[in-house]
Amino acid sequence: MRKTLVAAAALTAVTGTAALAHYGMIIPSDSMVSQEDGRSVELTLSFSHPFELDGMVLETPVSFNVTHEGETSDLLGDLQAATVMDEPGFMLDYPLDRPGTYVFAMEPQPYWEPVEDSFIIHYTKTYVSAFGDDEGWDAELGLRTEIVPMSKPFGLWDGNVFQGVVKLEGAPVPNAEVEVEYYNEDGSATAPSELMITQTVKADENGVFTYAAPSSGWWGFAALNTADETMEFEGEAKAVELGAVIWVHFEDWTGE
Amino acid sequence: MKIGLIAFVMIWWATVSVAHQLLVFAFVEDGTVIVETKFSTGKIPVSGDVRVLDAQNAVLMTLELQSDGTVQFPLDPALSAQGLLIEVATGEGHDNYWILTPDDIARATKETQ
Repeated sequence: MRKTLVAAAALTAVTGTAALAHYGMIIPSDSMVSQEDGRSVELTLSFSHPFELDGMVLETPVSFNVTHEGETSDLLGDLQAATVMDEPGFMLDYPLDRPGTYVFAMEPQPYWEPVEDSFIIHYTKTYVSAFGDDEGWDAELGLRTEIVPMSKPFGLWDGNVFQGVVKLEGAPVPNAEVEVEYYNEDGSATAPSELMITQTVKADENGVFTYAAPSSGWWGFAALNTADETMEFEGEAKAVELGAVIWVHFEDWTGE
Repeated sequence: MKIGLIAFVMIWWATVSVAHQLLVFAFVEDGTVIVETKFSTGKIPVSGDVRVLDAQNAVLMTLELQSDGTVQFPLDPALSAQGLLIEVATGEGHDNYWILTPDDIARATKETQ
């Protein structure tokens, strides 16, 4: 018993100091809005460790926009301040005027991470289908770095695979590392090992990665690369981590 | 408001056939109801039958889908006060519907004022 308590205390200490995965987050109220659901979707923007529900401050983003039918609209001025996971974030109730896929994307301000001695910029996006129309589900936004979906990024059953191409400056990234983490929204998921809080898959030579989600819910995929340029912190040049983040919802399987 | 919308749709849901592959959308612009259709493949149906019903399920009119997959008709404020059900059938089980709710109509009317 004593050994267990000591081990638990040691684990807690490690957890408190280990570098956990940071995620920019855009979580819609629904990834597939039907006409029965209404005429809008509510979006919650945050910065966190989503499995541990450990919120972080999300400063006002550099940009936040929506792309629909090839047109991109600026939504930055429409964001409302909100508290997400006990930290500042943003919300927006966005009206859906027409069918099709709406891609919401955020470029956050660079985040200085002292533990990693680098800045972090996670280009974050999510896809929402409106009124049964999935046209535009594979849209590439032309972000500095992004995961371009090869599987439809909504309407997936739990257990399905999600596939995407990691791109940086418009080109696929061979053997890119992609971190995968579950948004443990109700706190019910537990991990038998810290290695299972953030999982990692590698892309192939074409930048294509594959992941099968073990349960329904929101899953975040973050492909991390280092920018060519540096940014200055207290007079020193520091590395910049560029993250391509996409949030994908998997649905409960309804069969026996 | 959402509960109202769900109840509104559910009443009609029970009376319309379950849809396959055909997508129907309708909106109001400058006093005209514009109906757009397409298949989930992205192809446009070149013909089809359109029925417009009021909230009591009374058929207000029947129309032919145009070759571009659309059809238009003037909005009658008196008949559409409680919303409109627009059913489109293109044959072989390819049918679907869109419900213009009172909120949809009110919003569109407000935008044009």
